[in-house]
Amino acid sequence: MRILIVEDDAEAADAMARGLTEAGHQCVRGGDGEQGLAAARDGEFDVMVVDRMMPKMDGLTLVGTLRREGDRTPVLFLSALGEVGDRVDGLQAGGDDYLVKPYAFPELIARIEALARRRDTGSVHTLLKVGELEMDLIGRTVHRSGKMIDLQPREFQLLEFMMRHAGQSVTRTMLLEKVWHYHFDPQTNVIDVHISRLRSKIDKGFDRPMLQTVRGAGYRLDA
Amino acid sequence: MAVKLPRIFRTAPFRLTLLFVLLFASAAFAFLAYIYVATAGEATRRTDQEIGREMRSLVDVYDRAGIDAVNQSLIQRAANDKPFLYLLLTRDGRRISGSIEESPVETFAGRPTWATFQVTDVDAVGGEVKHPARGLQQRLRDGEILFVGADAGEDEAYVARVVRALWASVALVVLLGFAGGLLVSRNVSRTMVDLIDVVERVRNGEQGVRARVRGARDEFDELAQGVNEMLDRLERSMQGHKHAGDAIAHDLRSPLTRLRARLETAYLDVEAGKGDATEALAQALDDTDGVLKTFGAVLSIARLQAAGQAPNPTLFDPADLAADISELYEPFCEEKDIDYAAETAKDLTVRGNREFLAQALANILDNAVKYTPAGGAIMLRVRRRSSGEVELSVTDTGPGVPEEDRERAIQRFVRLENSRNEPGAGLGLSLVAAVAEAHGGRLELSEGPGKVGDMGPGLRVAFILPRA
Repeated sequence: MRILIVEDDAEAADAMARGLTEAGHQCVRGGDGEQGLAAARDGEFDVMVVDRMMPKMDGLTLVGTLRREGDRTPVLFLSALGEVGDRVDGLQAGGDDYLVKPYAFPELIARIEALARRRDTGSVHTLLKVGELEMDLIGRTVHRSGKMIDLQPREFQLLEFMMRHAGQSVTRTMLLEKVWHYHFDPQTNVIDVHISRLRSKIDKGFDRPMLQTVRGAGYRLDA
Repeated sequence: MAVKLPRIFRTAPFRLTLLFVLLFASAAFAFLAYIYVATAGEATRRTDQEIGREMRSLVDVYDRAGIDAVNQSLIQRAANDKPFLYLLLTRDGRRISGSIEESPVETFAGRPTWATFQVTDVDAVGGEVKHPARGLQQRLRDGEILFVGADAGEDEAYVARVVRALWASVALVVLLGFAGGLLVSRNVSRTMVDLIDVVERVRNGEQGVRARVRGARDEFDELAQGVNEMLDRLERSMQGHKHAGDAIAHDLRSPLTRLRARLETAYLDVEAGKGDATEALAQALDDTDGVLKTFGAVLSIARLQAAGQAPNPTLFDPADLAADISELYEPFCEEKDIDYAAETAKDLTVRGNREFLAQALANILDNAVKYTPAGGAIMLRVRRRSSGEVELSVTDTGPGVPEEDRERAIQRFVRLENSRNEPGAGLGLSLVAAVAEAHGGRLELSEGPGKVGDMGPGLRVAFILPRA
């Protein structure tokens, strides 16, 4: 995956680029808003990671400019500003996701991969399929190997998100944001219980567990 | 060369007053001018009518009895002290008789002609006095010319008095307006100067300065009150910032110190070649997360307090919020063998930032879950108080907080002794309190359901929002 990192803090950008390269991605870097804009116009990227506050041109302006030029590359904003209003600003400027600094690296990589994935699914599917698992989005039913699985509405949403991001790590924070729409971290890990309930429904009675716990990151649904 | 006027002349009220004086003076002038035209015209008309009547009566005498009768009549009339001037001329303009020497009518074509002229009179002390007069001249049937005039003096004097009154009143209006303007603007600008003085002093960093509210309940009082409230808020916010600074230093220094010590020990161990640093690094990472969490909460509190109000408030049903949060926490409680129940009143409305309120409720529940032992219970309740306020309360069967510590528990950065070892505690309730305050509400802590066996007495945290 080709990733553009626009971040003025060289050390943070280094660490990010190193981690992403280790994870098998190609990174291009821009040290300020103008460099970032030039790089974005020059090359094709799967995801752009853009810091919000930078010299010469701030992230909001950068992304706003690209969007007006018709560039639809998914953008993950990084920012030290994490209030609700700040997120809204970021998303309105054309960002696709918003991560508050400081972040754990698994969180960053999970979100980048989720953004790249979102781009792939251009067409609308009414049926999601991951391995033996099938989800009918209109009939609101889930089957594994033909066996019907009864889910609560929230469990359905949780599984839908996991299926859309099958094979990727998703973090607890991501789940809380995308499934529950809360932008704060509860001190207790309430998400774990929901996952374990979902796991008991989709994996119980089958040889191979699909819903995995990824140590230090979150969860992953494997085909 | 620019002349620097005294301050009062430069004040806005004074300029406004001048404008009004000008307007009033013009209006008064226009009004009085109308009166003048009306009265002066009336005076002339009356004189003219009298002259006309006299002329008709003389023409009548002439028509009936001829020129001699007219002469006779003129003599009589003059003797009777009639206030008219007469002159009778022959056909070719020679004087026959009359009380004046020559006609004031300079060009006479034969038609009845009016004239305005002056007569000279001698007053009591022998001085010459000129009176304005009007007269009518016309030709009689056989060609003789008759002039009848009248002293317009009295009417003219009346008009003159009116004119004098006009000027006097215009002068009076201007004078009074000017004086009133000075008075008003002095009054107004004294009040303004007070306010400006307050602003100036605050700008120079003086604290606790407040504008005087005179109790007149006018807009100046409103302004003064507004300024005072603004200053109060500013000061509170400044104190909040200062307190936040102290608190951040206090709350972050100890975990950072601990973190540093841990890293240092690990470093020395590795350097000495003994042991593996993995454990210490994992611990350090955990510590860092703790610090970041604390920092995030401190920042949220500081921003809420600085803003003074929650951003983007909306109207919503608190029962929905409670249901959402319950949905998140109920399974978690079940897992910990805590009995979870929610009791929510219907059809209430609150106004606030849903995200912040959800976070507040989540924080209260986090606390409750943390301190409630297995086999205990947590109850979430949403109800309307008799005061109309909406109360969201969480009651647990944990150890509770002793009464003397409750106030302290919601103050920022206070960690009660018995929770010393729980990571991340301490900021939870103070953030909740900050959210409540930002919504114009408050947080109340009280005892839970009481002691049952080795459980309790529990804690009841009530989040109270004003009526929407």
